[in-house]
Amino acid sequence: MTNVLPIVTTVAAALLSIEPLYIGGYAALSPAFALMAAYHWTIYRPDLLPPLSLFAIGMIQDLLSGALPGISAIMLLLARAIVLANRHDFVDRRFSFVWAGFAALTGGAMLFSWALHSLLAGHVLELREPVFRGLLTISVFPIASFLLGRGQRALIGAE
Amino acid sequence: MRISAAQRAAIERVSLTVLVVLSAAMIILAKADQVLIQSVRSAVMDGAAPALDAISRPAAALVASANRVLSVMTVYRENLRLAEENERLLGWQQVALRLSTENAELRELTKLAPEPPVSFVTARVIADSGGAYARSVMVDAGSENGVARGQAAMTGEGLAGRVSEVGTRAARVLLITDLNSRVPVVVDGTHQRAILAGDNSARPSLRYRDADGTVRIGDRIITSGEGGVFPPGLPVGVVASVDGEAPRVEPYAALSRLDYLRLVDYGLAEALPTPLSISGRGGKRADYGSDGQRPPRR
Repeated sequence: MTNVLPIVTTVAAALLSIEPLYIGGYAALSPAFALMAAYHWTIYRPDLLPPLSLFAIGMIQDLLSGALPGISAIMLLLARAIVLANRHDFVDRRFSFVWAGFAALTGGAMLFSWALHSLLAGHVLELREPVFRGLLTISVFPIASFLLGRGQRALIGAE
Repeated sequence: MRISAAQRAAIERVSLTVLVVLSAAMIILAKADQVLIQSVRSAVMDGAAPALDAISRPAAALVASANRVLSVMTVYRENLRLAEENERLLGWQQVALRLSTENAELRELTKLAPEPPVSFVTARVIADSGGAYARSVMVDAGSENGVARGQAAMTGEGLAGRVSEVGTRAARVLLITDLNSRVPVVVDGTHQRAILAGDNSARPSLRYRDADGTVRIGDRIITSGEGGVFPPGLPVGVVASVDGEAPRVEPYAALSRLDYLRLVDYGLAEALPTPLSISGRGGKRADYGSDGQRPPRR
């Protein structure tokens, strides 16, 4: 039963990122929480967060946030593909190494979605907000990683 | 039967590829068939509304209590400010009463048809767009509360946006700062018309102005009522800058931290074009030109 933890936490992360905080300017900068959960679980328990669940979570997030449906799904799936190919370098490494990996992934994800949105909008969009959003996402990651790691150790353990 | 590591890797590769292609197809479909995507979106919105409503409450309560603590510290200064403002407003009240009587008399004289009654629904914001590429919010009222597409969304200060999608118990409001928002406006006190165009920044710009008109910082911008999506005269914002390509308008409504919105029904919603549909279910081609309001492109 506890094996649904990765899916439940990733769904919660997706909902958290569209949560209104009633703070000026937050909506545009709200961290990509689902990306953090997807990264964590793809490294430690990829079997419990299969591609189909990432697709569904990404679609729901896009449909609820008013974004073009499919964009978050593609981002989460590509993140999984990239992380999965390199996951053995990340298991049992120092946290700073895992964090650096996440920073690189976030940078790539922000750039990818910026390029995709620019393409769909038909002109080059501003880079400032994705950059800030990426920095915020990277700086919040340690907290998310700590919480997810705690939950994982308490409920399911390593593969 | 145990699956070998090689088989598992193959399944992973195939399912990832299929799902990435499917996501890309969804993006293209969403761009092409807006009727289909809006009905899917409304259904998902309705399903998630209770959960989003529940989880947005703690955050709202937290922010409210933080504001209460902060307001205790400034209560004395705030009181002075309010007393001063009250005095000024009492003066305005006299002016308003006099004008209201005069207006009623003049209407009587000219036999002007009475304005239609206006109804509104107050709704709480339960989700925002969460990302840098769209400016919209979800509210906890839908068609069962009388919300309909095209209704104006107002805060106490001014226009915030318009209802773009409606579910049974939730609706999406496209804010005037969104990339796809176009609102016909007029500079108050002049006959200078323009289109207020959002670009996802905090200050939408005034485009397609009359060539001979000038716009100054501090000019009030109100809806012109052209195209019939919004009634004329709704307060929108003030001109905040005039350098650069187009003048920029600071909206009266605090769009980045909305908590409650008033969805106002002026009975004009049928003026909105029906979204494009490739499957031909009730959708007719949207007419971009007639009302200056592009159909939502998402």
